[in-house]
This record gives sequence, C-alpha cells and structure tokens, in this order.
Amino acid sequence: MNDVQANEIQYTPRELLACVAARLIKDGESVFVGTGLPLVGALLAHKMYAPDMMAIYECGAVDPEPRVLPWSVSGSWTYHKAPVILSMTSVFGHSRAGYADVGFLGGAQIDMYGNINATTIGDYENPKVRLTGSGGANDIASLCQRVIFMGLHLPERFPERCDYVTTPGYLDGPGARERAGLVGGGPWRVISHLGLMGFDEESCRMRLISYHPGVTPEVIQQFTGFELLVPDDVIETPRPTAEELRILREEVDPCQLFVF
Amino acid sequence: MSHANERLFDHALAREAKLKKSRAEKDKRMPLKDAIAEFVQDGDSVIETGFAYVRGPMAAFWEIGRQRKKDLVGIFTPGGMNTAWHEFGGMEGCHVAYVGVEMRGLIAPFRRGVEAGTLKVYSEWSHGGMALALLAAEKGLDYVACKSMLGTDIMKTNPYIKQAEDPFTGAPVCLVPAMYPDVAIIHVHHADKYGNGRIWGPAVNDESICVAAHKVIVTCERIVDTLDIRANPYQVVVPHYTVDAVCEVPFGAYPGDMPGMYYFDRRLQERVVRVEWKTPESTRHFYDKYILGTKDHFEMIQIIAEEEGMNVIEYLKQLEQLACDAAYWGLGSWGVGGERDWKYEEVAKRAI
Repeated sequence: MNDVQANEIQYTPRELLACVAARLIKDGESVFVGTGLPLVGALLAHKMYAPDMMAIYECGAVDPEPRVLPWSVSGSWTYHKAPVILSMTSVFGHSRAGYADVGFLGGAQIDMYGNINATTIGDYENPKVRLTGSGGANDIASLCQRVIFMGLHLPERFPERCDYVTTPGYLDGPGARERAGLVGGGPWRVISHLGLMGFDEESCRMRLISYHPGVTPEVIQQFTGFELLVPDDVIETPRPTAEELRILREEVDPCQLFVF
Repeated sequence: MSHANERLFDHALAREAKLKKSRAEKDKRMPLKDAIAEFVQDGDSVIETGFAYVRGPMAAFWEIGRQRKKDLVGIFTPGGMNTAWHEFGGMEGCHVAYVGVEMRGLIAPFRRGVEAGTLKVYSEWSHGGMALALLAAEKGLDYVACKSMLGTDIMKTNPYIKQAEDPFTGAPVCLVPAMYPDVAIIHVHHADKYGNGRIWGPAVNDESICVAAHKVIVTCERIVDTLDIRANPYQVVVPHYTVDAVCEVPFGAYPGDMPGMYYFDRRLQERVVRVEWKTPESTRHFYDKYILGTKDHFEMIQIIAEEEGMNVIEYLKQLEQLACDAAYWGLGSWGVGGERDWKYEEVAKRAI
C-alpha cells in the first residue's frame, strides 16, 4: 500500500488510541487489565499481535479466551473460558509475586510523574467532582511491573500535579517509589488521543515519544498542563493499518460501544 | 448504640457475635422481607458480595429501600446501583474502594451526596486493600502488611490503615486491619436450607465476607437439597454456620449479571444510571415507581418487562448462556443449559 492510499484510511481518535495501545503489548506477556479503554486495547492486542497474551482481571479471572468485547472487568464475557477463576486477593497477590508484567489503566487525570487521579476533582474535603475511587487501579499500578495509561488529552486531565493521587506513578520524582516501598516498576507509557508518551529515566518526567498524525509536539504541549519533555527523536505515530481497523471494527467492537 | 464505624474494626466484638451463633443445622429459610426486617438494622454497616453488578444481591438492596432502612453505612468494594437510596435518608456514610458501573458511568446519587456533603466518605481504599481487610478477618489475622496504597493520598484519607516499617526488611509497608461489617448479603446460585451457599463464576471476596460479617443473609437462585451440596462441596463459598437467613430469590441479581444464568440488563442499567438517576427528583421518581411502588422484586421485573415490551429474563438468559458456554461447562444440572438459539455472530451484533 502506498502513502497516498494509507492516508485515505479514516479512523476516529479512539480507534487510534486502541491501535497504539495494542501495539505496546508483546506476545506472551501477562496484562492486568483495568476498566474502560484498556479493555478495548487489550482485546485488540490479543486478537492481533499477542495471541499468547495472558489477561488478568481483578474479579479473579486469568487467561480467558477473548471473544466479544466485555464492558466490565467482571462480567461473564470477561472470563469466557478462563481456565481458572481466583479470588480478588489472589490475583493481586499473584501480581505482587511477579506474575503481572503490564498493568493497563484509565483514569481522570495523570500528572507529569505519571500519578493518576480517579477519586476527586478539586479539594478532597469539598470536591467539585466525586469520581469512582481507586477500584483495582491502585493495586495494579503498585504491583505490576510496568504500567500503561490511556486517556483523553486535555490540560485539566494532564495537570502538573493531580488533585488527588489515587494511583502511584513516580510520586514526587526520582527515587520516590523506592522510598515509599512500592514494588512495581511504575508508569511506562501514556497513550492519549494526541500522542504516545513515556518517562525520562533520570527525571521520571513525562516525555513525548510520538505525536499522532495531524498534530505536532507544539499542539500536544498546548494541551498539557505541565512542561512536556520533547526529545529530538520524536516521530509521527504510525497510522492504524487497514487490518487493525478491520479487526477493531468487525471483531473487537462491532457495536461501536467504545470506539466512536 | 455505637456507630457502625466503631464496630467495624473491633476484633473482640466480632468474635463475641460469632460465639453466640448457633452451629446447629437448622432450617433458616425465610421470605426476603422478613430477613431484611430482622437482620438489617438502622445504622448497620452493610457489605454486598459478588462484584456489585455481577452476582450482587440486588433484590435484597431494593428490599432495604422498600423497608426504608435508615443511616446505613455502605462498604463499597465495589458499590454499584445499590448506592442510590442514601438520598432518602437510607445511608449516612460509606467506605469506598469503588463506586460506579465502569463504562456505564458514575452513580449520580452517590456523586451528588459526596459533593454536597450529605453522604460522608469515611475512608478511601483500593480494591486490593479492602479485600485484604476482609481476608484478614477470615484468616484470623489482626492485620496484614501489604504493598498497595503506599505513597498515595489514600494513605492520608483512610484513618484505619497505617504505614509502618517491615520489622524483617526495614522497608515501608501498608498495614490493613481486619474488617468486620455488621451485615453481609450474599447472592449465590444454590443454597441448602441451612445456608451452605454454592456459586459458579468468580467468588471475588465472598469466602472472606461471610466469615468477617457479624450477620449474614444468603439469597439464592434456588434452594437445593443438602445432599446435593454435600455431594459436591467444592463450589461452596458460604458455610452454613456463618449464615443467619436463607432466602430463595430467583433473579435476585437482576438487573446485574448472574454467572451462567442471566446477563446484565444493559438497557435498564444504562437507563437507570444515565437518565432515571440524573437528578434527585428523577431518582425519587424511580424509587417511588419501581421500589416503593412494588411489593417485591418480581413485580418490579414485571413492570420493566412490560416497558421493554419483551421477555427480559429469556433474553438475558440467552446472552449469558453464550457468554459462559453453558452447555460446554455442563451447567445443565444447574437449571441453565438447554437449547441455544443464538450464535456468537449474532450476539456480537447486539450491544451487550
């Protein structure tokens, strides 16, 4: 397929998000899947790139056979043909033991050190918005080896510091995770509808890896509430391929519940 | 009468409650109405089992609303559609790990209550953290040391957990005390008349919750002979000696999911969460019409079925059987199985 044809493929921002997420999962890895967009990314990865991926859900299901997109981390489609269904303490315990490679999360806010807020917007005592609370997110980010975050990219969703730290990233910066006693490696990738970000090894701050087609690093900076590190080697994110979109639209989310 | 929070982490009080319980195999069957009236008292802390909208005891929660119980303290790990009746004085505070219905959104009455300060959040938890508090109660541990919640604002907004130094390694750990809710309501597939409860699908925290709670109400899809349970005790998550009441409530998890039996009523859930509960007035209307205006769960389902113009239960059974491959798993003897009219390809086209 030449470039002209590739550019003609139409896709929505959320479809791009799902495709970028799916490409980050390596075959054979175990992925602790949180609710929301991660369900879509994980299922696409499973069907497309990582047939031997092992999904873990906080309800206790491990390694189900993916079929249609579950909307919940605990419904019957989530643990379709799972060989084992454990208790909640077991799946988190297994993550601490070292059986969870990747944690896959969403949330309302993420800050420059990758801390995530899913509890309150505004002052905790007098919240402007009360959100869901941690659920399994805190445990997933505390215990899994590396964490992928997916969310929409807006200045208030990417603040310098979260209003409430529900889920640990690098906390206050270098060495803070170790000082706090956390075991997992911390945040690894952030996927938004504008770009793919990682974290600087020394400063632990969020840095751009690639910008999505149609936007520039400058635009991403404008939509980010803190100074985003932009290395010289940033590239444009490869577009979703026709095959990725076909699987996404026909097999993963045929009703377009999430990816619209 | 002490506040529910003072009882929640009291090891001695919890033991006392259990020493008083009869170990005899006695018939504990009773109507749901009577069980709620007798065992859920105003001011109690209440924990639900399953995963809120998966095998959650929904019929029991509607009944609590119907009986206008007051000042309950919710323990939400997670909390779903059961959180709404606080707007009418039903609930004064809560301990929160998660409240919402995932992709279907936030629970508006919960949000309104916390934002307005009428519903107190006594403590924040992670799912794993709260599960460990219940596990500690089950395993006879005063507290457990874990690696969740460290370094975050949860440590500051939960007065019950503590950071400490691991005496073996010197590393920081989070100490989580054993938690003993006043009442647990557990919905299971099968129970015998003594209260032995058997499930299919994820137990989540049920094995812990039934031992942790002072009082346990088991609601079940079907009462089965005790010999049936004794012949296959491997799926039993609730032992009879923890149970105070057994209520046969078919479709007791509706509109949630009952693994192997019926799927979520997605349309009703979305309508309720996004429309019916959008304002305090519409929530009141929902309660007046569906909860206070009906005599029981079945009348409520009947109204919903009439509104949706279809046999809701049959539809959800079909969806669920495909999800679980009921025939494949040999669930026929559970009253599930049977002919499957639908194929995956068709289901994928339906918005589940």
